[in-house]
Amino acid sequence: MLNRHAISEYYPGCRIAPGAGAVRIELSGDWTLAVLEKVYAALPTSRELPRSAQAPEIDLARLQMLDTAGALALVSFRESIGGAAARFINVRPEHQILLDEVARAALAAAEATPRSQPIADFVRRFVSALTAISRDAISLTMFLGETAAALGRVIVRPSKFRGTAFIHQIQMTGLTAVPIVSLVCFLIGGVIMQQGARQLRNFGAETLAIDMLGILSLREVGVILAAVMVAGRSASAFTAQIGTMKMREEIDAMRTLGIDPIETLVVPRILALIVALPLLVFIADIMCLAGGAVMSKIYLALDTPIFLQRLNAAVTAKHFYVGLIKAPFVALVIGLVGCLEGLRVTGSAESVGTQVTAAVVKAIFLVLVLDAIFAIFLSASGF
Amino acid sequence: MEPGTDQQTASLANGGKEAYAIRLRGLTKRIGSQLIFENLNLDVFRGEVLAVAGGSGAGKSVLLRTILGLMPFQAGSIEVLGSDLSTVEGEERTSIERRWGVLFQDGALFSSLTVLQNVQVPMREHLNLPLKTMNELARLKIAMAGLPANAAHKFPSELSGGMRKRAGLARALALDPDIVFLDEPTSGLDPIGAAAFDRLIRNLQQTLGLTVYMITHDLDSIFAVCDRVAVLADKRIVREGSPRELVQNPGHPWVREYFCGERARLIEKAS
Repeated sequence: MLNRHAISEYYPGCRIAPGAGAVRIELSGDWTLAVLEKVYAALPTSRELPRSAQAPEIDLARLQMLDTAGALALVSFRESIGGAAARFINVRPEHQILLDEVARAALAAAEATPRSQPIADFVRRFVSALTAISRDAISLTMFLGETAAALGRVIVRPSKFRGTAFIHQIQMTGLTAVPIVSLVCFLIGGVIMQQGARQLRNFGAETLAIDMLGILSLREVGVILAAVMVAGRSASAFTAQIGTMKMREEIDAMRTLGIDPIETLVVPRILALIVALPLLVFIADIMCLAGGAVMSKIYLALDTPIFLQRLNAAVTAKHFYVGLIKAPFVALVIGLVGCLEGLRVTGSAESVGTQVTAAVVKAIFLVLVLDAIFAIFLSASGF
Repeated sequence: MEPGTDQQTASLANGGKEAYAIRLRGLTKRIGSQLIFENLNLDVFRGEVLAVAGGSGAGKSVLLRTILGLMPFQAGSIEVLGSDLSTVEGEERTSIERRWGVLFQDGALFSSLTVLQNVQVPMREHLNLPLKTMNELARLKIAMAGLPANAAHKFPSELSGGMRKRAGLARALALDPDIVFLDEPTSGLDPIGAAAFDRLIRNLQQTLGLTVYMITHDLDSIFAVCDRVAVLADKRIVREGSPRELVQNPGHPWVREYFCGERARLIEKAS
């Protein structure tokens, strides 16, 4: 068995020796993984064997090295030319042990080979993808209920509330998001102003771009941009934090210690987001308008006092409130999705990655859906 | 029972040029300012099952990782299957790596692949086989490692600890290695599972003619499957010999504590 992987000095060979009685198949050389192609090439098919009343005998006297791959080839060859009736003869004891073990294992392996059913599999995948949406909706609703119940328990017994975690989460989701949200909103405010003015110039109504900027920013753009940024930053962070804890069985440990993970992990995060997002939306609104003001000075050559005067005439507090009222609901959805996907993490590290991706995609999708519902509802009710 | 000694002499007789599977000479290793091994010598003969025992923190895992080339060492030589590992590189090094298989403590299976694909990884990497043959071979290895056939399409996260170890062993055996390294193969298994794993190792070792190097501190395993034990303490191998020899003549305080303590006596009595 030495040097099994070195290039074989003895290529596998096969000779058919027609005898008086049974056909004798004499094998020689090394029958190993390194020369497996030659092994299969050397073996005759059952048609190449001379016809004989008796099952053939396989003579292994001149076989040199044998490993599991070679033994498997031999065992399946024996099957193909007559099963158990075909015998191995002149087998060395160490080869015999290997052949027996491989024959036993090959039998066990062959028992449950799953048959592939491409059409059925396709239908199954298609149906499960369709029902996944409704399953998601159901589990999100159930999770909302669980969180509400936990929130109720916290309100009844305020000592259960994790104040430190709450403040920490406000800092992580709110304060640290201020620079990026400000920058993005400033740029988009400028872009809206510039594009609006350019299109409206055709009608000689350039200054109406300021009206458009004011209403659009306060009602839609500020809240959507802030929410999308937060969904990208915080939903993913929630999933990763809770998911890692789930993977390391920390969540299970909490349960056995009598600590409710929903109360300790989910409630502070969601409440923090509900507080932080409206504040972020306010900053986002201001930055959008500031971006518009700068652009109007550059592009329309309007001084800032005139811009503000125009803005004051166009925008009322109502528009600001319409944008702001969406923020807590959007925050609730982002927090719920982030935490729920975290709790769905299973044993492997890979599933943390999968769930984080799912959390961000679902959170952004739901933010936009919720915004559309609000837009229809609010304009129908006259705001 | 004294398993394997006859086999060992047999392999010594017909092996000739390469009686040693692994040979460490004067191995010195430090991590930072801490000296881990000083002038450590160890021989592993072909076809034997060697257990490396030692207290926690004695450096059993570090020694294994050093032999495998996962950690550097400062002085001495490591010879595996007749070639000095510090001098071989590239192709030659790969050809030696193909001749050993490693079972890590928790299997170290790739979590994004099924058991079948895990076992096929070394085959895909080193050989050019048709898919059908690879499937057959991988299924064979999975069955030889004692896993049910339906485990082949499961992911590592769907398996129990014992099954993960068996799957890891199947992957270690994928290329029909000469040497198998096992890192605490029975830790974390219940006594029945551990005994079954011991039997499996013994069985495979005899069928495939393997050399087994295993880290363990499971006394049951040592008495059940090991031909020899090497004890790591005081930065070197302090004792080598068959389990029985070490029981009769410990010669080192740790060995005495280990082999002649309360638990060892219970096992002795039972056997």
